[in-house]
Amino acid sequence: MTIKRILGLFNDFEQASAALHELREANLPHLDWNDVTIKSPIEHPDVESVLGVRSIPVRNYTLAGAILGGSLGFLGIATAQGNFFSQLKGGKPIIPLPPDFVLTYEMLILGGVYITVLGFLICAGLPHRSKRDLYNAAVSEDQIGVMVKSNAHCIVEVRKILENHQALSIQEEVVL
Amino acid sequence: MSLDLTLKDWSTYRQTHPRPDSHPDLKWAMAIDLDACTGCNACVVACYAENNLPVVGKEKFAAGQQMHWIRVERYWNDGDENSPEQGAQFLPMMCQQCEAAPCETVCPVGATNHTPDGLNSQVYNRCIGSRYCSANCPYKVRYFNWYNYPEQVKAWPDPLPMQLNPDLTVRTKGVMEKCTFCVQRLTDAKNTARNEGRNVHDGDVMTACQQACPTGAITFGNLSDPHSLVAQKWRLQRVELSKDKQLKDVDGSHPGLRGYRIFEDLRPYPSVMYLERVRDTQA
Amino acid sequence: MNSVTQGKERDIREDIAWAQINRDVLASLEQPRATYWALFALAFCMFLVGVGCEWYQYNTGLGVSNMNNPDMWGLYIATFIFWIGMSHSGTLLSAILHIIHADWRKPIYRFAEAMTTFSLMTAGLFVAVHLGRVWQIYYALPYPNERWVWPNFQSPLLWDAMAIFTYLSSSILFLYVGAIPDFAICRDHATGWRKNFYTALSLGWMGTDRQWRNFRVAYLVIACFLIPLAVSVHSIVASDFAMSQQPGWHITSFPPYFVAGALYSGCAAIITLFIMLRHTFRFEEYMTMPILDKTARLTFAIAMVWTYLNLIEYATVWYGADEVAKETLLQRATGPYAVYWWSMNFLGSVVPFALIFKKIRANLTAMMILSLLLNLGMWLERWMIVTPTFSHGYYPWTWNHTFFPSLVQWGIVFGSFGWFGMLFMLFCKLVPSVSMYEVKEMVFHRKLARIEAREA
Repeated sequence: MTIKRILGLFNDFEQASAALHELREANLPHLDWNDVTIKSPIEHPDVESVLGVRSIPVRNYTLAGAILGGSLGFLGIATAQGNFFSQLKGGKPIIPLPPDFVLTYEMLILGGVYITVLGFLICAGLPHRSKRDLYNAAVSEDQIGVMVKSNAHCIVEVRKILENHQALSIQEEVVL
Repeated sequence: MSLDLTLKDWSTYRQTHPRPDSHPDLKWAMAIDLDACTGCNACVVACYAENNLPVVGKEKFAAGQQMHWIRVERYWNDGDENSPEQGAQFLPMMCQQCEAAPCETVCPVGATNHTPDGLNSQVYNRCIGSRYCSANCPYKVRYFNWYNYPEQVKAWPDPLPMQLNPDLTVRTKGVMEKCTFCVQRLTDAKNTARNEGRNVHDGDVMTACQQACPTGAITFGNLSDPHSLVAQKWRLQRVELSKDKQLKDVDGSHPGLRGYRIFEDLRPYPSVMYLERVRDTQA
Repeated sequence: MNSVTQGKERDIREDIAWAQINRDVLASLEQPRATYWALFALAFCMFLVGVGCEWYQYNTGLGVSNMNNPDMWGLYIATFIFWIGMSHSGTLLSAILHIIHADWRKPIYRFAEAMTTFSLMTAGLFVAVHLGRVWQIYYALPYPNERWVWPNFQSPLLWDAMAIFTYLSSSILFLYVGAIPDFAICRDHATGWRKNFYTALSLGWMGTDRQWRNFRVAYLVIACFLIPLAVSVHSIVASDFAMSQQPGWHITSFPPYFVAGALYSGCAAIITLFIMLRHTFRFEEYMTMPILDKTARLTFAIAMVWTYLNLIEYATVWYGADEVAKETLLQRATGPYAVYWWSMNFLGSVVPFALIFKKIRANLTAMMILSLLLNLGMWLERWMIVTPTFSHGYYPWTWNHTFFPSLVQWGIVFGSFGWFGMLFMLFCKLVPSVSMYEVKEMVFHRKLARIEAREA
């Protein structure tokens, strides 16, 4: 069976959401809901919930990054103060805790932010070569797209459902 | 660079300073007798000669960009016109080589540190000229090279470069400098002593200002050597290095004490003790 | 939180078509008013003045700035703090208002975030200009070297370096990540070299639910990090002064005082740029008068916080036991800098009361002049922190020095505004200065709320 992709564009979230609900109720046998994607110019958490619960692993990256940043910062600084040219300054201990705390705090935030961005890029799958995926510029303007990837037989059913909900345009392509 | 070394250093280096046992062998200190000081400025001239200080000229001096590492300050006492000095007081002020120097903590690159023999070191090569050390110095005894004195301002026109001291550098623009207790002479004395297998004796080394002073107002030496002249003077005045309030100021119970340190309550623990002028209050 | 105002002017028209939003903002990238080019040329000329002065100073030595012993710091440090302060506005708008769901920030936060980034870059310039040996500025970085010497981590100036680096890079990342959906819009409508440029920048963003889901969380997380970061950055800059011993600086309320001053000058700068961008790029639909009104009220609130902290600083010195600090305060009020000090207090504490009047808030010329005056007050504040303490410190021998900056210092300060203006104008030409997708969200949610209100 050939695998196909279909993208239907709707005028607003209600129509797209209705189409998705009908798709759910249709209970098509060979449709994997992980292959259903919504493309939209803005986010809409309610509509996304129709797709089922999908995890957001970015926060794990944040935690790991913050811990990494903070501990690397403290270890780096304390080691440097103790070992590199350790000279007395101003009557303070050579490894003083208040300055080390300030810098650990900054490094914690640095690590948290950098690794969060990295995590975001990884979890969102960016950079993404858009030529490999169905896309319509109207999605960045004001139309909501529903994209389904499945076998050709399923796609025919999906097309019917999309047309039922006044899809503005439908594109299909064969996945190689 | 090992974990053992780091942990050992951690416990060693978590202690603050100064403590009475901070410098068991060698601690350079000074005592200046303001009663003997006549304000003649010989110490200033000697310092210029010894440390390659540029003469900046009348304009720059008036603008506050002078380079004198030791300066003789004049204060005028209005009620004192009947005294021989007619109200004038002199204070030779140089870097106090503080044990807990406020300048050392704030240098971003670590160009100023505390040496094991109790000096506040200034590393010209490391200095990037942020001037935070001078901002934090309560005495304002740090001087910045505002211009390139040797090459652009031509502070030493020929044949003056022949007079420069080869034992230390001539600083370029952008670098902070200050009194070092003539560290080039101290290093020389320490080397000689080490070669001869002994400690530095009192009187082995004199700073340039001490050497030039005609009245002997400046006493310099090793405070950790109990027999040195400067240690005796400090002991006589009951001034201790690691205290922030000396007996003279605690109460009026010892009126004969003359020794004090400037800005002690800011707790930099300076290494220079001044001996108050003897005033005839009954005349 | 949707604030639906009925009968009053709304923050934005709820029936703006999303395609219209795209068109208006994209048009700003291509056809701004002629004012844009005039502003850019002006900024460039100012920048050249600054470059000339710095060239002279670099070659001759810092003495040309009239600085001396004891006045070791001058306008460079004051203006450095001013620019760092101005950068806090972006974080305030982007991050703080985002977390409390104040959606009126949506049309204006993009340029505020850009202002943050470029303010920080301008502040970085002053770090270099102020140093005696700029060519060895890399000594302040912890890099591997043969001498095993790293910078002194005890120094507040070094905390500055680390904090500002963190803040600058985090701001750039925040700005960039937040702009990815907008770059996708630009990519879809661009041709030629712009298409390649935006394609690269948008990283293949397609608006899929997976991308939006992760985007939403990442954006919120970075916003949550940026708020304590912004507070800590300016507190660290304040600790340059608070951690020293000098009278007039060694005050525990300095960190919050500086942060309040930063938010204050940032808000004033937002108003200035708001009015400029609204006119230059024809953004009247998006940068509306109600939003300006809200920004003005926020500025007033922060002005009052700053005024309180300012007065508390004077009160604690006045009631304290530190005699020299009291003398320094008196000298600020009656000494050679009295004119500037009183101006600062007037501009910072009295002038914001004009913002109470609705008529003034609704008048664009008045707001423009007011915002510039408020920022002048804030710049004076920074200068009045730096110089008077040097001219009347602890040591009596230093007390007969009065320092006024030379033309070289003024020239470099002037040039920094040109540098900032140049960068900002370049930004507005390349990156959409109004966040298109967020404005669409704002319109969408307000429309929804209006429908629900009508049905209720």
